[in-house]
Amino acid sequence: MVRHGVVGRSLRLIAGWPWLGICLFLLLALVVMGPMLNVFLWAFTRNWAYPSLLPTVWSIEFWDDTFARADILEGFIASVWISLIVTGLSAVICLPAAYAFARMQFPGRTFLLLSFLATNAFPRFGLYITIAVIFFRLRLIGTVPGVVLIQLVNTLLFMIWIPTAAFQGVDRALEEAALDVGASPMRVFVQVTLPLVAPALAAALLLTFVGTFYETQGALLVGVPEVRTLPVVMIRLINNQVVVQYGAILSVALWVPSLLLLIFAQRVLRGNTIASGFGV
Amino acid sequence: MTVAGSRGTLPEPATYSGRFRIPQSVLGYALILLPLIVMGTLILYPAFLSITDTLTERSPGGSLQVSLADYVEFFNTPLAVRNLAFSLRITAVTVAVLFLAGFPISLYLRFTHGRLGNLIQMLALFPLFVPGIIAAYALIRFIGDNGWLERFLHLLFGYEGFTSPYLRPAGIVVGLAWEGISITVLILTAGLSQIPDSLLETATDVGANRWQAFWRITMPLMKRSVLIVLTLNFLTVFGSFTIPYLLGPASPEMMGPYMRRTFYDANLPSRAQVQAVITFLISAVISLLYVRSVVSQKVEEES
Repeated sequence: MVRHGVVGRSLRLIAGWPWLGICLFLLLALVVMGPMLNVFLWAFTRNWAYPSLLPTVWSIEFWDDTFARADILEGFIASVWISLIVTGLSAVICLPAAYAFARMQFPGRTFLLLSFLATNAFPRFGLYITIAVIFFRLRLIGTVPGVVLIQLVNTLLFMIWIPTAAFQGVDRALEEAALDVGASPMRVFVQVTLPLVAPALAAALLLTFVGTFYETQGALLVGVPEVRTLPVVMIRLINNQVVVQYGAILSVALWVPSLLLLIFAQRVLRGNTIASGFGV
Repeated sequence: MTVAGSRGTLPEPATYSGRFRIPQSVLGYALILLPLIVMGTLILYPAFLSITDTLTERSPGGSLQVSLADYVEFFNTPLAVRNLAFSLRITAVTVAVLFLAGFPISLYLRFTHGRLGNLIQMLALFPLFVPGIIAAYALIRFIGDNGWLERFLHLLFGYEGFTSPYLRPAGIVVGLAWEGISITVLILTAGLSQIPDSLLETATDVGANRWQAFWRITMPLMKRSVLIVLTLNFLTVFGSFTIPYLLGPASPEMMGPYMRRTFYDANLPSRAQVQAVITFLISAVISLLYVRSVVSQKVEEES
């Protein structure tokens, strides 16, 4: 593509100052990757004296200790279960609605679809406090149902918007062709529509599961003291400052699998799907 | 009609020849009822209840009457007012920092192509893939006393005057800016990508220079994206909890940790309710601006 005019000149300007991009890159690399790399190193450290840039004594001895801790194990199990329940519940509630939003005509459809942005329009923690006050009266504080319900709030928007976009992306000609040759609507849905939207649905489920697994503020506000998910356990590790390595190992062990899942989800979704959830 | 991320227009609904024909609108409403109920009971009802709870008072006779007593009490509590002012200050600074960091990155990404641009984009979007609690933990190690940042400054520049922002107001700004940069860049680059090259080229063809093209074309066309970014960041930062709770000072504290302490440690749910409603009221104008610009954008996409 031949570039000229303003764009061309901007390009030449940037190309003429390669250090601009390189400086931006180095700065971002330090600020963005620095903290993560630092935690990575801490997970394999026994001793790290100031001012050495690298651990002074390397070791993996804390890994066994970390996973032998009862609170971490229990937190992990609680997080997995609660995230599975929230994701399943959210799917049951939202997926049929997404289908309706994508495929059916009814008055107020656009308005109702946009109304799910309401979750973004409140200062989040203030909203959680008002929910917690009701849960307090209903004696849902410190219970699993309480945590599930407050975490459900977070999942609605993406669980409706991503599948709605996916159902709308299916080429109707394919379905109509199947109908024409005599397939039942149910069979068309299962054998034609579903396989086409499956990757996007899987991405929505993954995003919801990972997002719920690490959801911290709702779980802390409503779950404590009886229900402690893993992020809540991590908060306690941070506040008590026991051993730096516990938190670091937990971060590395959990973050790497979640990163792979999120990258997969991002690959499947079209570039702007996540941005669209924020109103772009 | 289309929604976010869809392509083209939606064809007329297919006429499936089923044995039973339920009107489509009825079926549509039936399918979307469940999430609407969840949203009503878990978002709108709690917010509404808190507003009515805090605005009414039971008189000695037992009847309900409107009363601003709860709010008068809030604004007569020095600690509460101090925390509110602190929250607003931190929010303003963080929103400004995010915009000043995000806008140049987005501009760079819009007008550059190639490997370096891709790498910068990857880095800018990276925090999106880091769960908040892990980011908080990593940042504490990085910016804390004797952390990596201090060691870098010491070894590279021999700088000794480092004071860690951890557990100071600046720590909150650093943490929230780290978390928010991805969404900021994402929204701004999406906005910039909607400005066609041809438009900018036309401007130069009629004699505008680069600055004129930027101020007269790019900026006006970016108004809505900028508004969305500023309002969304305000709501996210003002309503945040985890980062201020873990990285910020114990006093003054932002409304998030303050409300949690009132609710949980002080065990005063009704007072926490007042604090929550005050955060709603203060951000009401911002919420309205956010919703309006998003809705106008979507409606425009539809037509």
